[in-house]
Amino acid sequence: MMIKKVLIANRGEIAVRIIRACREMRIQTVAVYSEADREALHTKLADEAVCIGPAPSKDSYLSMEQIISATVVTGADAIHPGFGFLSENSRFAKLCRECNITFIGPDAEVIARLGNKQEARNTMAAAGVPVIPGSEDAVYDAQTGKEIARAIGYPVIVKAALGGGGKGMRTAFCEEEFEQSFQTAQTEALNAFGDGTMYIEHFVLDPRHIEFQILADNFGNVIHLGERDCSIQRNHQKMIEESPSVALSEELREEMGKAAVRAAKAAGYMNAGTIEFLLEPSGRYHFMEMNTRIQVEHPVTEWVTGIDLIKEQIRIASGQKLSYKQEDVHLSGHAIECRINAEDPAHGFCPSPGTITDMYLPGGKGIRIDSAIYSGCTIPPYYDSMVAKLIVWARNRGEAIRKMQSALGEVIIEGIKTNVDYQYEILNHPDYLSGNIDIGFIEKM
Amino acid sequence: MKLDNVFKKTRLLKRKGQTAAENRGPEVPEGLVRKCNMCKGAIIAEDVKKGGYICPRCGGYFRMHAYRRIESVADPGTFEEWDRGLSTKNPLQYRGYPEKVAALKERTGLDEAVTTGKVRIEGEEAALAVCDGRFFMASMGEVVGEKITRAVERATKERLPLIIFTCSGGARMQEGIVSLMQMAKTSAAIRRHSDAGLLYITVLTDPTTGGVTASFAMLGDIILAEPGALIGFAGPRVISQTIGQRLPKGFQRSEFLLEHGFVDQIVERPRMKEVLGRLLKLHRDDQRALTAAPEGMRQSLKIPTGMDRARAWDRVLASRRKDRPVGMDHIGALFTDITELHGDRYYGDDQAIVGCIARFQGMPVTVIAQEKGRDTKENIRCNFGMPSPDGYRKALRLMKQAEKFHRPVICFVDTPGAFCGVEAEERGQGEAIARNLYEMSALKTPILSIVIGEGGSGGALALGVADEVWMLENSIYSILSPEGFASILWKDSTKAQEAAEVMRLTAGDLYALGVVDRVLAEPSGLTVEDIQAVTEPLAAWIREFLEQYGEMDADALVAHRYERFRRM
Repeated sequence: MMIKKVLIANRGEIAVRIIRACREMRIQTVAVYSEADREALHTKLADEAVCIGPAPSKDSYLSMEQIISATVVTGADAIHPGFGFLSENSRFAKLCRECNITFIGPDAEVIARLGNKQEARNTMAAAGVPVIPGSEDAVYDAQTGKEIARAIGYPVIVKAALGGGGKGMRTAFCEEEFEQSFQTAQTEALNAFGDGTMYIEHFVLDPRHIEFQILADNFGNVIHLGERDCSIQRNHQKMIEESPSVALSEELREEMGKAAVRAAKAAGYMNAGTIEFLLEPSGRYHFMEMNTRIQVEHPVTEWVTGIDLIKEQIRIASGQKLSYKQEDVHLSGHAIECRINAEDPAHGFCPSPGTITDMYLPGGKGIRIDSAIYSGCTIPPYYDSMVAKLIVWARNRGEAIRKMQSALGEVIIEGIKTNVDYQYEILNHPDYLSGNIDIGFIEKM
Repeated sequence: MKLDNVFKKTRLLKRKGQTAAENRGPEVPEGLVRKCNMCKGAIIAEDVKKGGYICPRCGGYFRMHAYRRIESVADPGTFEEWDRGLSTKNPLQYRGYPEKVAALKERTGLDEAVTTGKVRIEGEEAALAVCDGRFFMASMGEVVGEKITRAVERATKERLPLIIFTCSGGARMQEGIVSLMQMAKTSAAIRRHSDAGLLYITVLTDPTTGGVTASFAMLGDIILAEPGALIGFAGPRVISQTIGQRLPKGFQRSEFLLEHGFVDQIVERPRMKEVLGRLLKLHRDDQRALTAAPEGMRQSLKIPTGMDRARAWDRVLASRRKDRPVGMDHIGALFTDITELHGDRYYGDDQAIVGCIARFQGMPVTVIAQEKGRDTKENIRCNFGMPSPDGYRKALRLMKQAEKFHRPVICFVDTPGAFCGVEAEERGQGEAIARNLYEMSALKTPILSIVIGEGGSGGALALGVADEVWMLENSIYSILSPEGFASILWKDSTKAQEAAEVMRLTAGDLYALGVVDRVLAEPSGLTVEDIQAVTEPLAAWIREFLEQYGEMDADALVAHRYERFRRM
C-alpha cells in the first residue's frame, strides 16, 4: 500500500532532498526540527513541521520518543530516517514497527545484524564474499591478540567491536608496536562505547574505498547500481566521491557487483544499502561493512544510472517491486560530488558555524546542488558541518573534473568559512587528475 | 531572507478506491512508552525499567510497582508474602465498588493496595509493607489498614524491625468512616511495636498524602523519602483552591519536608538498599558492643593540672579561630557508619546542630554536635553555630530515639550562644532549651558532652546536661560571652579582655570549679590537619566512658547525673 505521508527524521540537505522526492511523488511531508532549526529550510519546505526539542541532538533528532510522538500526532504513516541520527538504530526501526509506522529502510533485525561488525563479517564470509583476514573470535587481551596478529601477518589493525568514526581503532606494523596499539584502542573503546571487545584484522595498505549501491525489494530481488570511489577522505570522513571508479575494469565491476548482491542477499537485505569494499592496488578486494541507509554520496550513483534512489526507497517501503532489473542498469558518463562543509581548513578544519550573510551557487548543464542553505540562514553549531553537496556530471572523467573545477570556482558563501578552496586544490592535484588516488591521498597531499 | 509560508504545499495525488480504513495509522501500543511525571516527557518503557524507574532525561522518579520495589531492596528470593487474600466487606455497600476492586485485582495482579511480608535486606531480616499506587491510588481502606496492622503486630510478636514504603492518595472514599478508622488502628499497632523497643522506618514515595501521611507514614523512628516525592496532608490543589493562592515551587515535595523538619534523609533509589541495610544493622541488638580496642590506641592522658597560665583572652581567641576543627571534623575523625538524621518534626531542620547515628569502635551511638561550618558559605548555612529552637528540638528528638534503642549519646558543644532573633523567640527558644535540660536530666542512656570550642551560655548547656562534661584545653564555657559580660556589668563591651580574665571560663578554671570532669591537652593552633592529636586520646577516653557508664543500671545512671548537677 502506497505511503501517503512521510515524516523525515532528519535535518539539513538530506531532509530537503527527501521532502523534494516526496513532493514529486505527491506524498505529504512532515518535518521535525529542533529549537535551533526553527528557521531551517526543511522546516519551511515540508507541508507540516513539528518541534521535537532543544538543540542538542540527543534531546531532539536522537529522541525516539519525541519523533514517534510527532509521527502519531501528525498521522504520518512512514518515517524516513535519512543518514546519521537514528538511521542505523535497530531499536528505532523496531519501535516504528511496533507503532505501526513504516520505517523506510531495512528491518530492525537486519540493521542489528549488520551493525555488529563481527556478525556482518561472518555472514559475508559464509556467502563467499571476500573478507579481510582477521580474528575469528573476539579478543579481550593483548597477549592473545599478539598470537592472532602473528597468524594473520603484519600490518594489522585493532578494531573495537562497537567502533565507528575511527574510534577504538589502531594499526600495528610490527610485533613491537602491537601491545601499545591494542591497549590504546581498547581504552578508547571502553571510554567511547563502554565495551572492550576487540577484533584484529590484516591491515590493507594503500587501498581505495570502493562501495557498491544496492537496491533490494521485499520479493527477493536485489540489484546493484555500480560503484562509487570514495577514496578522498580526511580522518575517515569522505570529501569527494565519484562514479564510476577509474580503478575498476568492466570484469572487476561485474565481479564485485555480484559479490555485493550476494552480500545483500546473505544479509536478507531490503531497501537501499551500500556494501563497502577496500580495493588493493593488485585488484584484490575485501568486504569492509554494509551501510543500512541512504548515503550522503548517493547523487553520483543517481546521475550515472538515472535512478532516483530516494523514490526507490519509498516505493520499496510501500511494498512495491523494484522498477529496474540488473540488465536495465547501465553506468553512463561520469559523476563527481564535492562535500562543502562549514569548516576552516586553515585552522585544523574546525567547524565554522554562523550566519550566511550572502551566497551565490553555480548552476547550468550538468551541475546539481543538494543543500539546505539560503541567504540569511544560520548554521547551528550542534550538528554536522556539511552545508552543501556540489555534484557534476559529464560524458567522461576529464570533462567532469573540468566542470567541477569551474563550478567550485563560482561558489560564494559569505559569513562562514568553508572548504571550497581546499576542494578546488584537490581538483587540481596531479594525482587526482590522473586518477592515482587511495585513502591516504589527503595525508600525502 | 524570511521563508515563512512562501513554498507551495505538496499537491496530493487523488488515488482511486482508497478508503480511510485502509491503514489504521500510527499508534503507540499501550505500555510501550511511559510518561515522566516530572518532565512530562514520554520515555520508552524498556528504558524506564532498565534505568531503575528513574527518568533518563530529567532524573525524575517513576512510581514503582510493589513487587518491583521489593525486588529493588530485598536480597534475592528472600521475600515471603503475608496475608494475601483479604477482601473488603464493602462497609458502605457502595454501588459498583466490589466490581471495581475485582477489575483492579484482575488488571494489576495485586491483592490490594499494599503488599506485606518478610524480607532480608543486606542480610538483615525485617517486616516490609509496600504500597502500590495502581490500586485505587493506594488509598487506605479496611484491607490496607488490616494488612498493615497485621504486619505490624506480627513484627512486634516476632521482634522484627519494620519498613513501610508509603504511597497513597489518602483514605478510600468508597469505604467512608471505616477507612478513617484505619488511621487509628494502624497508629495504635505501631505504638505497640515501638513500645516493644523495635525499629520502624518509613520511606515516603510519590505521592504520600491524606490519611496515610496523618498516620503510619509520619510515625517512623526514621523517616526517609525519595527525591521529589509529593508528601502532604491536604493535596496541593485543594490547598490552592481553599486559600486562593498559587503555591510556591517545590511546595510539599520531599526537599520541602526535609527543610521543614519532617524527613530524616532523602535517599536516592540506587542508595536505598544500602541505607536501609546500614540502618537495620545499626539497630541490631547483638551488634551493640564495643569491638576490641584498636592496636596501639593511645592510653588516656593525665589531666593537665598545672596548666600553663596563658591569658584567658588568648583562650577565647583560640576557641574562636576560623581554622579550629568544627563538630563535623571531630565526628569524621571519631566515628564510622555515620548516618545523618535531620529535622525536629515540628518546624525545621536547623543546620547549626548536626545529629547522626554512627558507630564508635563498633558500638552504635547517637552523636549530636553544634556546627559552625568550615568556610563562609557553611558558616552562613549553619548560622555561625547559633542554634534555633528547631535545633534543640532535633537534638532532643534524637536523644529520645537514642534512649529507646539504648544508644549512648555523645554531644559536641561549640556555640557562641543560642540564636538571638525574632524567629527564635517566636518559636520558643527559652522553652526549647529548658525542655532539653529537663529531659536530658532523666534520659535513661549515658550522655557525654565535650566542649570543643565555644561553650556559650544556655545555648551550650542545652547539650551539656551529661554524665560527664569534658573540655578541650583551648575551649571556653561561660555564662555569657566576655563582650556581653563587660557590657552588662561595666556598660562597656570593649573591656571584653578584662572580662575574660575574671569570668573563669577556661578549661583549667572550670575543672577547678568542678564544672567539667576532664580537660584534654591540645597542640597550640589546633587545625584539621593535626586533629588526631586530640581525637586519638579522646577516643581512648570515650571508650573508657562507654565501658564505665554503659554498664550502669539506667536508674543509677540518672541518679548519678542528678547528683552531678545537684552539687553545683
